Amino acid sequence: MASIEAAQAELENGGPMPRYSTNISRIVNSRLYQLTLGAAVASRAGRLALLAAVPLLWLAFLHIGPIYQMAKISFLTSYPLQHGRPASYTLANYAIFFSESIYFMPLIRSFVFSLASTAITLIVVFPVAYYVAKIVRPDWRSKALLLLLVPFWAGELIRTFSVIMLLANRGALNFLLRDIGLIDRPIPMLYTSFSLGFGLIYLICLYMLLPLYSAIDKIPKHLLDAAADLGAGPFTRFRRIVLPLSRDGIVSGCSLVFLTCIGVFATPMLLGGPTNVMFPETISGFFHGASDKWPVGAAFALIMLVSALTTAGIFMRLVGGKATKLM
Amino acid sequence: MRDLTANRRTALRLLGGAAGALAAPYNIRPRPAWAQSNTLNITTYDKFLPAEFLDKFQKDTGIQVNIRLTDDQGKQYNLLAAEGANPSTDMVTVAGHRYTQFISSDLLAPLDTDKIKNWKNLNPAYQNAPWTRVNDKLWGLPILAGYEGLAINTSYVKDPQSWDVMFDPQYKGMTSYIVSDFMTIAMKYLGYDGDFVTYVDKREEAQKATNAARDFLIKHKDMVRKYYDAGSEVQQMFLNEDIYLAHSWSGPAAKLIAEGHPIRLSVPKEGTFGFCYTLNIVNHAPNAENAYKLLDAILASPEVGASMTRQSGFASTISGVPELLTDLERAANSLPQEQVERIVFFSSVNRDMKNEMIDKATAEVKAA
Repeated sequence: MASIEAAQAELENGGPMPRYSTNISRIVNSRLYQLTLGAAVASRAGRLALLAAVPLLWLAFLHIGPIYQMAKISFLTSYPLQHGRPASYTLANYAIFFSESIYFMPLIRSFVFSLASTAITLIVVFPVAYYVAKIVRPDWRSKALLLLLVPFWAGELIRTFSVIMLLANRGALNFLLRDIGLIDRPIPMLYTSFSLGFGLIYLICLYMLLPLYSAIDKIPKHLLDAAADLGAGPFTRFRRIVLPLSRDGIVSGCSLVFLTCIGVFATPMLLGGPTNVMFPETISGFFHGASDKWPVGAAFALIMLVSALTTAGIFMRLVGGKATKLM
Repeated sequence: MRDLTANRRTALRLLGGAAGALAAPYNIRPRPAWAQSNTLNITTYDKFLPAEFLDKFQKDTGIQVNIRLTDDQGKQYNLLAAEGANPSTDMVTVAGHRYTQFISSDLLAPLDTDKIKNWKNLNPAYQNAPWTRVNDKLWGLPILAGYEGLAINTSYVKDPQSWDVMFDPQYKGMTSYIVSDFMTIAMKYLGYDGDFVTYVDKREEAQKATNAARDFLIKHKDMVRKYYDAGSEVQQMFLNEDIYLAHSWSGPAAKLIAEGHPIRLSVPKEGTFGFCYTLNIVNHAPNAENAYKLLDAILASPEVGASMTRQSGFASTISGVPELLTDLERAANSLPQEQVERIVFFSSVNRDMKNEMIDKATAEVKAA
């Protein structure tokens, strides 16, 4: 203690500064710093509070902030607000959804399509994740994962346009089928439920792959070996060991894929046909339609957000139970 | 793995790094127009302002031009209205029939033609067209004109005379259109007023007409391959032969014709609507003087107009442009006189009622 007091006295007298020898030392030893940031980082609790402040600010401004703003707009009678006109609030924007049945159909369509896409993605991706996690040699696993991730280095739109080039009437697939003599007229594959589902699963399968890989990788191999020694066949080992122990991965993968699917906007616009109009497109119509309907669009967006989160929450609770981990 | 020890140095380093990351959006955000002096921020459609023209303008004047692309009048209006008195853009591209919406919301500044010394180079037909003036003031420089036409792939469809062909079962699943735009055509096709000019204070009559068109489009939904939004989409569908015929703005279809693709554009006997895009100076735009310099530069040479036509496919409003186009480019933008007479320019009368009813009916057609 005496040495600190001596050092402080030396500092006040303009003497040499302890420990630091740059300009930073002046800041660190200044009274303002000592009373503010210095005091905060002096204790472990203070340092943790400071570190927690950054992610909390991130969450508040970039996640909760926009949702709060959207919720606020959804109760306004009109938006953007005009100069000189005070804001007034209403529930009418929400009432529109419940009073006009035409808006149910795109929402129901979005839910059905997202649930189906999630189920198909799970079925398609599970064997791939299992193969990488359990069949591929351990020293090759990271390379195999890297190979699977390569397509995802390209942006969503680029991958969507690659699907268009693949499935169009003059696309690669139709040319191939024609060249090998299977067809003489192109098969209309683009702008159908097939093209939309194909494109969507291609875009989002990564969200299923990584949680599944993570969960399957943790399954001890000796459990599978022991089951095999005791006479359990491949299907029994899958049903009694692999499936229950990869439950966390299934739940988090399905939740991520479902929530991504239901909110996806550009892909259905580019790959979907006239019968595949999804709820996000309905919502966007309120934002860039000719008339000013931002509050209605915001209300519809909130309705979708709440219903999608509720569905995902129920699924996580039913399938995952209380102890489900997200990753 | 070594545990992270939250000592003072790591806490400060992490805090500093995170604060920098959080501050990044501030540094990369679009600067509001008021923060600049030697710049010009323009919101316009893709391929409207030629790159070589902008390069030359920047070189000649030292003004940095920043382009923000839009593909919809409604989006442009909503963004501008949201920014209020601090717009992040100095210029917008408004279709003439949307003037009243922008002007009544105080979003545009009237144009002072005395500041545009090349104003005389604007085709006289556009200098004093009635639609260009609202409240006795001029609100924009007309740059490109177009219409909503019937585009066909001539390899598969033979010279249709009526919009009937869009509902002909032999082309089932081979047609495409922008729902909101085609709704007005469908109203015209069914004998109603698709521009709502005659429905002022006749809400029930307008709703009945809109509902009839809506129900008609829903009934014939199986004819449609895709509802599109942007001109590039209909171009892509024609090139991929995913569709054989479409309702299309003249620009995207004319561009395909000028490039030699087997596409033809016509105005069927029931008629259609025309429109004109204008470049406008935003109210409270701090770089308004730079905007006037750009407008003057656009009118300085018909080469600029020719280049705009080549890029966008729409017809230029600048005098002397047709002489600079090739035969194919001219053909892409010309119609027989009888078809020209079938084009009625969109009116700005009763737009609010039209927007409200058409938007709702559009959502209903898509949802059905």
